Formats: sequence, structure tokens, C-alpha cells
Amino acid sequence: MKFFQYLLKIDRRIIYIVMGILVMLPLIKPLGLGVTSGPRATALFDAIDALPAGKTILISVDFDPSSMPELYPMLAGVMRHAFAKDLKVLLCGLWVTGVGLADKAVTEIPPEYGKKYGEDVVYLGWKAGVDAVILGMGENIKNVFPADYQGHPLDSLPMMREIQRLRDIPIAFAISAGTPGYQDWLLFAQSRYGMKVGAGLTAVSAADAYPYLQSGQLTGLLAGMKGGAEYEVMVQKKGYSRAYMPAVAAMDSQSLAHVVIMILVIVGNIAYFATRKRGA
Amino acid sequence: MKRSIPLAICLVMGVAMMIQFFIPHPISVGFYDLTTKWIRIVGAFALVLGTGSLILYHVDKLQRRRQGWYYSIVTLVAAAATAVIGLGWGVKTGSPLQDVIFSNLLVPLNASMFAILAFYMASAAYRAFRARTREAALLLVAAFIVMLGMVPVGRAIWGKLPELAEWVLSVPNMAAKRAILFGIALGAIATSLKVILGIERGWLGGGKQ
Amino acid sequence: MIPFLILLLAAGQVAPPADTAPPALQLAPPGDIRAFDTPNDAGKSITVRWQAGPGATPETWLVERTGPPESTQVIATTEPADTRCLDEGAADGTKYVYRIAAVAGKDTIWSQPSPPVACSPQVFNTARLNILIAMAIFFALVIYYIETAKKGKSLFVRRIAGLDAVEEAVGRATEMGKPIIYVPGLGSVADIATIASLNILGEVAKKVAQYDSALLVPNRDAIVYTVAREMVKESYAKAGRPDAFKADSVFFVTDQQFAYAAAVDGLMVREKPATNFFLGTFWAESLILAETGATTGAIQIAGTDSIFQLPFFITACDYTLIGEELYAASAYLSREPLLLGSLKGQDYGKMIILTVVIVGSALLLLSKIPSLAFFDQILGFFSVN
Repeated sequence: MKFFQYLLKIDRRIIYIVMGILVMLPLIKPLGLGVTSGPRATALFDAIDALPAGKTILISVDFDPSSMPELYPMLAGVMRHAFAKDLKVLLCGLWVTGVGLADKAVTEIPPEYGKKYGEDVVYLGWKAGVDAVILGMGENIKNVFPADYQGHPLDSLPMMREIQRLRDIPIAFAISAGTPGYQDWLLFAQSRYGMKVGAGLTAVSAADAYPYLQSGQLTGLLAGMKGGAEYEVMVQKKGYSRAYMPAVAAMDSQSLAHVVIMILVIVGNIAYFATRKRGA
Repeated sequence: MKRSIPLAICLVMGVAMMIQFFIPHPISVGFYDLTTKWIRIVGAFALVLGTGSLILYHVDKLQRRRQGWYYSIVTLVAAAATAVIGLGWGVKTGSPLQDVIFSNLLVPLNASMFAILAFYMASAAYRAFRARTREAALLLVAAFIVMLGMVPVGRAIWGKLPELAEWVLSVPNMAAKRAILFGIALGAIATSLKVILGIERGWLGGGKQ
Repeated sequence: MIPFLILLLAAGQVAPPADTAPPALQLAPPGDIRAFDTPNDAGKSITVRWQAGPGATPETWLVERTGPPESTQVIATTEPADTRCLDEGAADGTKYVYRIAAVAGKDTIWSQPSPPVACSPQVFNTARLNILIAMAIFFALVIYYIETAKKGKSLFVRRIAGLDAVEEAVGRATEMGKPIIYVPGLGSVADIATIASLNILGEVAKKVAQYDSALLVPNRDAIVYTVAREMVKESYAKAGRPDAFKADSVFFVTDQQFAYAAAVDGLMVREKPATNFFLGTFWAESLILAETGATTGAIQIAGTDSIFQLPFFITACDYTLIGEELYAASAYLSREPLLLGSLKGQDYGKMIILTVVIVGSALLLLSKIPSLAFFDQILGFFSVN
């Protein structure tokens, strides 16, 4: 009886230590559980893979550092995919807190593929106003962003000579941790300018995007860290990248974390029913 | 007068913005753009208010040597240093504010706070998820299905588990969420109407009259 | 011999001679060119639609515009499947004529010109008529029940456990000699949930003043901070205890989400409150706040309209106000007729929506029957633009 009463009130610190150890261990020694790509991530991958060399994809970085572990791997994965396919990448953002993260990606990833800033990748930065920004880019990108994030006039960048407005870009990938985000790109860019839109979302808000997938408005969806891992796996399988896959590495930890939570819930319920019976 | 003028502004602007929604004419669109610019400008002044409040609160705590007064020194020094560095060296890539304060302090601290959620979820789930009733038991089963379905372990246990998890999220879960959203949307409309008509005056500060 | 002849004849039937192969389709000019002022817009926009001709499928369509003073230019190139073009470079009041060309290789075939058309801004967005009607019905319901409540009719509101527990929670804090922490959420004063939270704060502050407890209100938004301070001060005055109000009990912390969560957590661990209120708009920090509060042993009452955070509050708090229960709080606690009346109107509005959803779902199913396809047009009235 005392045992069950103890199980009913396990000290939080023990739970935290067990959780911490089980989350850390797979990062040091991967379990190799493997990640299988689902249809939603595959749809986005195929849409980008089908683009001929020289086309541009637009990535909207709409998240902040707190969502970085979940969403940054998606950004890196899609950028690597694009560069491996000799696609050009144009980045912008609707969140001011995403500016540093986009800048980090633009600094770190293009050199892996020998890509040059201004010729193969441009980062426009952040502008206030959501609908005004997207609608303005739909008419003329230079009206909204006369210069890029580093202050270079867009006219001086070779990549921007062929891209005047959103219709010149076949697909946009919006990585969103909330609002504003992919829904604004759907509302203004997809419906008005016929752009394909893919979304990368945190796991908690991914379910809200399913209706858009079913209706065909969204071309593909990466949901949470699992979605990022699925994309990383596809990029590696096709030989586009050999970089470290942080989302895949973290999936082992996430698997164990979920299993730990389930075990704790089961233990708590066993103890609850055992003590209740004895009490009755 | 102190309350009448804000109430009158609220009524006029509330009705004007409602009417604006139905008028696509350029004059209406221009009015909407102007109003959103004003909202952003007024919001920026809030920064002045907030900074003033922060400084006054911590200076007072420091002067009276209340519990934890040394943390107030940290707050004030950090606020001053960030302001000076930002104003002096700028905020673009390569500046100390961007590199040291944002990338090396703010980003890891934010990520750490977010990471605490994982531990808190475990302890909250352990403490609260008891199958006391049939509904609670059903909730537990659904939670297990979704938790397993979202990770590779689930597919390893049963190939169809991820699809089942997705069904749980996109059908019953979505239905319940939409039902709550209906209520929230109507509640928001009714509360907005009360604010516009001056029935709800809490936002003025100081209760109802 | 005869079978051999039959075989020859059959081969002749199966393999037609080369010179009788069907001719390749010719490119045909597009037809049914319709150019009209784009409806429900701010002007400067003309919509052009056309039908593909009966001939070969073109590789692209060209859209040409002719306007004064006799200037002609190609304004758009569209894909074969896209037989619609939005000309957003037109000037209001100026007449334009449009032609469409089907292009395949070196061949270009032009359509007949469209009738002249001019664009202008519209004064009313007819696509939003359904929203206007819905709003009018809803407002009428709310105002009707407000008037009914003013006449003294008693209106029933069901019990909301979280709000009933407010008095008990404040009393507990008084008995234990510990403070109450009230978190008005992370939203701005423009958020409805924040307005609702501030109304509850007024009632809580009044009870705190009456019971002579301590109240701490950390704020994430500077404007909410100023409103909250005035609200609490006024509540103390109404309770007859203006001297008991401490200005530094309501304070601004920071506008950074997780920094605010860390600060409030620290406050909870140091002050060990008896009661925590989490009412307003919350994001990912909700569980951090609620779970830390649970570790201190405080009774916790939460309420939010952020549906993603509701599960965390329900798990970690003793009482949770779900969505509109938070909005109903000011009516529930004050029992003011005007507020109760609006709550009633809101509920009847929900009944109407529920009816529309059920009837609409049935109509949608029935519209799949060919003879009942006109139900689609009825349902079209409810689509939002």
C-alpha cells in the first residue's frame, strides 16, 4: 500500500531527472528509430523537387528563437534542397523576431553549396504590416523592399533582376509559429497571385492547417519537429545533403519523452486505482 | 469629461470601422490604412510608458531594499546597457547587440524557457491525467494514440497508428475546437459591441458608472 | 487461297493508308471575350474572361489592352488553363478594349475585341451582404435582450464554477495571510480577453480590499498596466479602503514572452501566493506559469480564449474558464442587467448559427443529388469574401 502511495506522489525532481536523462541520451547515442516520410511532407518535397533549375522559391521566416528547435531544421532543409537543385532562394519575414534567424540561415547554408549572396540567395528582411507587405510584393517587390536586409538596393542584386513580383515565383514556403503566418500567404498570395504555398508549423498548430491541405490550397505541410525530420530524411535520401540532421536526431529524444510521459501516466493511474480500492 | 471623451471616440471609431468593412471605395481603404498607422504610433508610445514603469518600480525596490533588491540592479544595468549598445552600435548583423545580446543571450534563454515546457508537461500529465471518469479514460486513450502516432515509435508499434492519430486530430479534435471558436467569436462580437456602445467600460480603468 | 485473300483484306482494313491520316488541329481564336469592372473593389481594376476556341490548345494566352490615347499594349501572359486576367493598371473612368491571342509556336491568332469597358470604385461590397445581415440580426438580438433586462426581467445564467470560486479563493488567501497573484494575460488592451480579464480584476480587487488581503498584478503590456492600476485603485476606493491601495502592487515587468513568464514564476516561488488567477490571452508560457503555481500549492483559476492553451490550463489549474465563459465573467460577477442581457442575446445568436450549420450540412449533402443541385446556390450565399 505504501508503495502505491509513493507512486501516487513521485517527487517532481525525480520526474525531471528521468526526463532529462532520457532526452539527452539519444542525442549522444542515437537509437536509430528511423523516420518515415508522410504524404504531407512528401507533397511539399515533390513540389520543390519538380521545379526546373533557375526558378526561385520564397521562404517566409515567421518564427522566433523559442520555436527555433522545431522550425529552424525545416528552414535549413528546404534551403539545402533548393540549392542542391540550383534553385534560387528569396527570404523575407512577417515577424521582426525572425530576422536574426533568417540572417543566420543565409550566412551559414549557401556556402555549403558554393552559392553566392545576391546571385543565388537574397534576404529582404522584415517590414511592418502583413497584408500591405504581401499585396505590395504581389505588385512589385521593390516597392515594399527597395533594399535588402543588408542595405543593398535590389536593383544591384543580379538575382533580383528577373524577379519583379510574386507571380515570378512559383512557390512560397511559410514557416510560422503563429500569426501572422501561412494563412496570410494563403489569403493574399495564393488566392490572388496563384502562387503555390507550403507551410511549416509547430506541432500544436499543425492540425489547423489540415483543411487547407484537403482543399488543395496548401501544397504541402511540415508539422512540428517530425515534419522537419521527414524533410531532412528525404533531402538526404536523394543525395542533396550530407549535413547533420538535427530534427532526425531529436526524434529519438521526442520518442523517448512521449514514452516516459505515457509510463508516468500509467503508473499514476495504477497507483490511483490501487489506493482507491484499498481506501474503499 | 475624463470619461465622456474616450467613450465618444470609442463609439465614433467603432461604428466607423464597422462601416468601413463594407465599403471598398479608396476613401474607405485610405481611412483604414490611416487608422492602422495611428494604432501603431500610439502603440509605440506605450514603450515609453512601460520603460518608465519598469525603471520606477525597480528604483523604488532598490531604495527601500525590499526582498530581492539586488536583482533590480541586474535589471536596470541590463536595460541601460542594451539601450546604449543598440543606440551606439546599431542592430544589424555584426553589431554587438545582434551578436552578443541577441544570439548569445536572448536566443538561448528563450529556447531554455521553452524547453522547460517538456519537463512541466511530464509532471503535469503525471499529476492530472487520472481516469476518474469514463470521459477521462477516453481522453487518456486518445492522448496515448496521438502521442505515439506523432513519433517514429508509433509507426514501429503499428503501421496505421500515425493515420489514426491524424484522424483524432483532424476530426473529433477539430470539431471540438471549432465549437469553442464559434462561442469565442460570438463572445468577442458581443463584447466589442458592448465596448463600442459604452456598456462595458472596464478598459477605461476604474470600473463602471 | 481464299483464307489468304481474306487475310489480305483484313490487313487492308486494319492498316489505313498513310495519306488518309486525320489533319492536325488548327489554332482557333478565343471566343466569348467578356471584360467588366471588377466588382466590390477600390477601382483601377478590370476583369477579363474568355473561352478557349475549338481548335488546338495554345501554349499561352496574350491579353492586349487598348486605351486612350490609342495606346495598345500586351498587359499579361497566362497559362493555357488560365482563361482569366485581372488588369490592375486601368484608370478609373477610362474606356478600354481588350483582345486575347492564342499563341502556339510562331502562330498567333487574335480574338475579336471586347466591347469598351471602364472601371470605377464601388461604394458597397455586395459580397459581404451576408455578413451585414448576420451582424444586424445579432445586434438586434443583443439590443433586444438588453432592453428586456432593463425592464427588470430576470435572466437565467448557468453556474460557472470558476467564477463561483473567486470569493472562496480570495477568502483562502486572507486566512492564510498570503498574497493573490493576478496575471491579466499577455495580450494588449485591444484584445477582448484582456478587457474581460480587467473586468474580473476589478471585482477581485474589490473583494481583496474588503478582506484586507494582498494583491500582486504583474503586467506584460504597458497600456494594460496603466488600465489595471487605475482599475485596482478604483476598486479599493469603491470598497471604502482607498488607503489600503499600494501603487507598486500593480507593475509592468517586460514585454518579452518568456522573460515575463520567468519573472512571474520567480514571483510565485518567492511570495508563495495562496491564489493565482491566470485570465486573459496566453501563448506557450501558459503551462510554465500554471505548473509553477501548482508546485507552490496555490489554488489556481484560469481562463483564456486561446484554444491551444486551454488543455494546459485544464490540466494544471483547479478551475478553468473556457473561451466565452471568460467573456461572460463581467456579467456573471456583477449581475448587471445590461451585461446579462447582452449575454442572453449572444446565446440566441449561437442557437441561430447552430441551426444554420445543421441545415447547411443537410443542404450540402442533398445538393449532390442532380435534381437538387440548386441548393449549392443557397449555400453560396453563406460563403465569406
